Amino acid sequence: MRVARVAVLLSLLLAACARAEPETTVSGPPTPPDATPAALPPAGTVAPPAAKPPAAAPALDLNSLETRLRETKAIGIFTKISLKNLVDDLLDNFRDYYGGKAKLTMKDLRRSYDLLMMKVLSLLQDDDQKLASAIVSSREAIWRLLADEKKFATFKT
Amino acid sequence: MNKVTVTLARSLVVAALFAVPSSAADDEALRKDLTAVIALHGLPCGEVVAVKVLATEDYAASCKDGNRYHIFLNAEGRVVVEKQK
Repeated sequence: MRVARVAVLLSLLLAACARAEPETTVSGPPTPPDATPAALPPAGTVAPPAAKPPAAAPALDLNSLETRLRETKAIGIFTKISLKNLVDDLLDNFRDYYGGKAKLTMKDLRRSYDLLMMKVLSLLQDDDQKLASAIVSSREAIWRLLADEKKFATFKT
Repeated sequence: MNKVTVTLARSLVVAALFAVPSSAADDEALRKDLTAVIALHGLPCGEVVAVKVLATEDYAASCKDGNRYHIFLNAEGRVVVEKQK
């Protein structure tokens, strides 16, 4: 049962990622506008293997990220449930905000969101650094979902 | 003592040797978990140094700074942290 609850928490975070625009995946360094294709090798020579494009940050594999969050041992069960409670509270605040019931501003919500992410990252960064990095990568994507009323309305918890 | 008894006794000794570190690791994990929970609730603690299991998902935690907390999962699925006097 606890595992199911944890799964809900993790799904919340990750469903947000999943609904994010593809463009929100982390991209590599910008390509200069005047960049041109590499020069062709002289005729008669064997072309070397095509150089790989500049290493863009890997697109987030949300399924594996979800699995990793669910299975990470960096966070204990009670901590995962506590985080789920905090996520639920934040989502309630967004619902109230979009419903005109809250006195909170978007700036307040952003502050709450940042604080929550910092808590998650603080818990992960020592014992599961890779997962912490993956979450950092999806941080803005999740925010864009939350901060967009239409996208948020389609978000089922 | 017959061979079966000796073998059984040896097995129990070996099992005990492995069981103790495992239990210690579990305790350490639980203390760490509850330390994080208390911190997430914004309460002072520093570090949980002792835990008493009161029931399933129901603990009494003692902190390094002297604070004590009752930590449990309520019917709504929320983790509750209550400061104990």
